[in-house]
Amino acid sequence: MDSPAANAAFAKQIDIKFPLLSDMNKKMLKDYGILKDNDVQGQTYQWAERANIVIDKDGIVQHIESGGGAINPNNAMAICTDLHKKQTSK
Amino acid sequence: MQTRRAIASFLLLAALPVSLVIPARSQNAEQVAKTTLKVGDRAPDFTLLSDQWKTVKLSDFHGKKNVFLAVYVLAFTGG
Repeated sequence: MDSPAANAAFAKQIDIKFPLLSDMNKKMLKDYGILKDNDVQGQTYQWAERANIVIDKDGIVQHIESGGGAINPNNAMAICTDLHKKQTSK
Repeated sequence: MQTRRAIASFLLLAALPVSLVIPARSQNAEQVAKTTLKVGDRAPDFTLLSDQWKTVKLSDFHGKKNVFLAVYVLAFTGG
């Protein structure tokens, strides 16, 4: 997993304005079921599956996409925007 | 874009260049990814360090903001 220091460098490089988080002990990834085993030349390595997850104000998962479907964040972002509109129109 | 920033706390989770991954022993396999999160599930709380070395908890946003969580791999690459 990338360290906070590595994330800070990455954030600076591509000018990111939101927090980059590090899951150094992989607990969150395990809890969310997105840490996967991968075989590379006979060795098993663990790294995260790519994922976009939208969680509402009550802590309930409203959307989840993973793997190749999570490369483009626009769909999840639109769902997040709609969620906000529904909440504010109540 | 400003509106979007206002409505969502956008968090990115770093997952790693392959070179930094620690080889997993086979006996650890049962600890891996037992659950797969589904829509409607309560998102497990987490406490993680940000790139500014600040602690960020999912529960910090409870009742305040929706959270967009993006888990990405291969930072510093085009992938």
